[in-house]
Amino acid sequence: MNSKRLADRLARIVGADHVLAADSCVPYTVDDRIPTAVAFPGDAQELSEVMKLASSDGLSVIPWGSGTTIGLGGIPTRVDLAVVLTRLNRIIDHEPGDLTATFQAGIPLCDVQASLHRSGQFLPFDPAHCDRRTIGGILATNSSGPSRHRYGTARDLVIGIRVVHADGTITKGGAKVVKSVSGYDMNKLYVGSLGTLGIILEATFKLHPLPAVERTWIALFQAGEGATRALARILHATVVCTRIELLSSGAARSIGRQVGCQFPEGTAALALSVGGVPEAVDAQIAAIRQFCRQEGAAAEFLVEDRTQDSLWKAVCNFSSVTGDGRYQVTLKASVLPTHVVDTIHYGETLAGRLGLESAAISEAGCGIVRLYWTGAPGLAANDPISIAKGIEDLRDQVVRHGGSLVILSAPAAIKAAVDVWGPVGNALSLMRELKRRFDPNGLLNPGRFVGGI
Amino acid sequence: MEKRRIVEELYAIVGRDWVIADPDELTVYECDAMTFLERTAPDIVVLPSNTEQVVEVVKLCDRERLPFLPRGAGTGLSGGAIAVAGGVIIGLNRMNRILDIDLANQRAVVEPGVVNLALTQAVQEHRHYFAPDPASQAASSIGGNVAENAGGPHCLKYGTTTTHILGLEVVLASGEIVQFGGTTLDCPGYDLTGLFTGSEGTLGIATKVTVRLMRQAEAVKTLLASFRAIDTASTVVSEIIATGIIPSAMEMMDRHIIGALEEWLHIGYPEGAGAVLLIELDGPAAEIEAQAKQIEQICVRHGALDLRVARDEQERALLWRGRKGAVAAVGRITHEFYLQDGVVPRTTLPQVLREVEAIAERNAFVIANVFHAGDGNLHPLICFDSRKEGELQRAIAAGAEIMRLCLSVGGSITGEHGIGLEKIDFIPLMYSPDDLEAMQRVRLAFDPLLRCNPGKLLPTTKSCSETNVAYRPHRVEREGLAQRI
Repeated sequence: MNSKRLADRLARIVGADHVLAADSCVPYTVDDRIPTAVAFPGDAQELSEVMKLASSDGLSVIPWGSGTTIGLGGIPTRVDLAVVLTRLNRIIDHEPGDLTATFQAGIPLCDVQASLHRSGQFLPFDPAHCDRRTIGGILATNSSGPSRHRYGTARDLVIGIRVVHADGTITKGGAKVVKSVSGYDMNKLYVGSLGTLGIILEATFKLHPLPAVERTWIALFQAGEGATRALARILHATVVCTRIELLSSGAARSIGRQVGCQFPEGTAALALSVGGVPEAVDAQIAAIRQFCRQEGAAAEFLVEDRTQDSLWKAVCNFSSVTGDGRYQVTLKASVLPTHVVDTIHYGETLAGRLGLESAAISEAGCGIVRLYWTGAPGLAANDPISIAKGIEDLRDQVVRHGGSLVILSAPAAIKAAVDVWGPVGNALSLMRELKRRFDPNGLLNPGRFVGGI
Repeated sequence: MEKRRIVEELYAIVGRDWVIADPDELTVYECDAMTFLERTAPDIVVLPSNTEQVVEVVKLCDRERLPFLPRGAGTGLSGGAIAVAGGVIIGLNRMNRILDIDLANQRAVVEPGVVNLALTQAVQEHRHYFAPDPASQAASSIGGNVAENAGGPHCLKYGTTTTHILGLEVVLASGEIVQFGGTTLDCPGYDLTGLFTGSEGTLGIATKVTVRLMRQAEAVKTLLASFRAIDTASTVVSEIIATGIIPSAMEMMDRHIIGALEEWLHIGYPEGAGAVLLIELDGPAAEIEAQAKQIEQICVRHGALDLRVARDEQERALLWRGRKGAVAAVGRITHEFYLQDGVVPRTTLPQVLREVEAIAERNAFVIANVFHAGDGNLHPLICFDSRKEGELQRAIAAGAEIMRLCLSVGGSITGEHGIGLEKIDFIPLMYSPDDLEAMQRVRLAFDPLLRCNPGKLLPTTKSCSETNVAYRPHRVEREGLAQRI
């Protein structure tokens, strides 16, 4: 459809100030595909009306939060309309005594935290770019960061949800209470579904109290085996860590630079934080320190306060090993905790063979490994195929050990050459059937989810 | 004749000893732990011993258009394992092997018939445990825990069953075996493991379950505080949470329960106690010491009549003794009781409990309360005597009033027992027709012919166009207490 005409029709729903057409849509490009129009609905009703229009005209829709994670997913088969949720940015409800709160999908996480901090509470989310991410985007992608070690992911924290379906119908699942088993747990279905079953409108969360104090211990290891052994001992001890991150030497060097610490060349780092009452935090840090020393840590640091904040921010937002002007492939492997170190090692070796710089950061206790491969721009254009082969090779390794490997972001040329999601197993036809029942005309994010859903 | 043939075929699948078709023997399977609402025997009970046999049985049901439903230990409290439309019960108790324990990764793979407590016992010498701990954990099976998304006292801190399930092997109504999730945390695709957990046997039969095991905490501290009024105890609950402490359990008992327990176990609760609050903390020793002090101060500030702290495991067991015996103790003060299960926001507990008391008075019933206060998960026990004309009906009506009350403050009609058969006509109070339609899409994606546990969880419409299941009025409907949408 003609961009101007579509924009005019959308303007009747959301107002002329909240629609983009033609060239103005370029910032909302997904994998080199530019939408015909962009709409910014201001409330649930407007979003529902936009979906009704899309549905009656058979327009495909890309739900959009802050756009920071738009690189996740396969190349869309169609891009007609981007629906941006940033105007749905209200705190609907927060009851400190219940430790629950309800937010609209488009609210930035940083606004949520600022508000909750006033009551000594927080939402334990710290995905990459968390100063920009929206709540809806975090849920749709089930994005997570280091804090998942202690608190779990969005999947574990969403207790209620409201969704706009492909036909514009609004439904809810769950409730505003921390425990409910009334009907199917629809929260689980929508979280992580990349907007392919419906657009998340608002969500209610279980919150957590902010710990009284928090401290971080960093231990550097010359050899991977020492870090592995220390990690195993910590994971099986009674210490309750908030975060446990294993940083490859490349990642450690870069993060050290960002926070003003000089980490020796070639050392991997283990960064662990503990939160709680001061006496308990001290006792646990002492235990961690002993494990690290016994396993041959080369150097150790205690970080607190602002250095600690900037350290964790650097870990969460880690994206670039080198700097500007280069493309990057970001991969996420989900493996058994005992397979983390091997996965990092294999990923780095592969990157080296492909002539790429690499770094790895891992939520080691959860078995999540993020690999960052960086190369010169020319290389991606020239040889996406060999990089795609490298990804497949790594995926084979990971899948063989019962894990999975997903491309979080990559240039479109690479995504065209390798499946972003990898094998899903024999439940794929059931997933397709769910998609068919919820979005029979395939309008929501077509082609971007597993198996081409 | 038809039944004879099917029984013969089932003999061939599982062996003669594992098929029950005799009407007298089938009475055992007439109901689960929800004993008074409805009793219907299945036509046949079959007890397979492995996934392949489950597949064969399900394929037979598919071919013969027979409804079927999986059953674990039968400890469910909402009638979820009652065979509404006859058909076949597939009992999974024989599938009770722990297939793999991977302590290095804190995971285990078990068959659905493994008893909850048996899993913890299998790993406790290595200082690990399986966190979900429903009251029935000594009898209930992991498969049943998955089906109902079972809760328990300690899910306040550690989450309900769904938090601890990583993967499932499921036999769908077509007989197809599918794998959901896995042993690792983030599996690409829709979260079918999360969707299946709590689906009450309506989406298929779980034949293998991959669970997360947890490391025992460094220390545990258990406190028991008594208060004159339940209002005060409820305020204490909210204040503890608002202070930033999340105990591993916070359980409350009211004066009716205290009275019944005293009469039976002579626990020695203080004179005049209107509520007893059992609080358990676990974690690093230094942390729970500090938190216990804060909690003691809160309790004292609110005029606790008595405050006891367990000094060892034996004393801890003693403090839990009353809580664990609470429901049984109610049997001493009433002929029967209807155990309700609703959830409210914690902060509304004082108001809601007052209104529950008003419902009791209005209906001239005793309603005793023992509940997971930290979660706002109420368990009012409506005491009645079905030998008296109309009392059962009035008890059910009082239960309905409590459900409406929970919803009026933004709560839920069930926190851990599920919808089952008991609440199928009440679920429209909580969800709109559009909400239920979305759930129905899920069900139809898994089981288009509605063979799995039909007549449960979602109300069938009177027209039943797509469902193939005969419409069947629920007891509350027959008695004019509720109407189908």
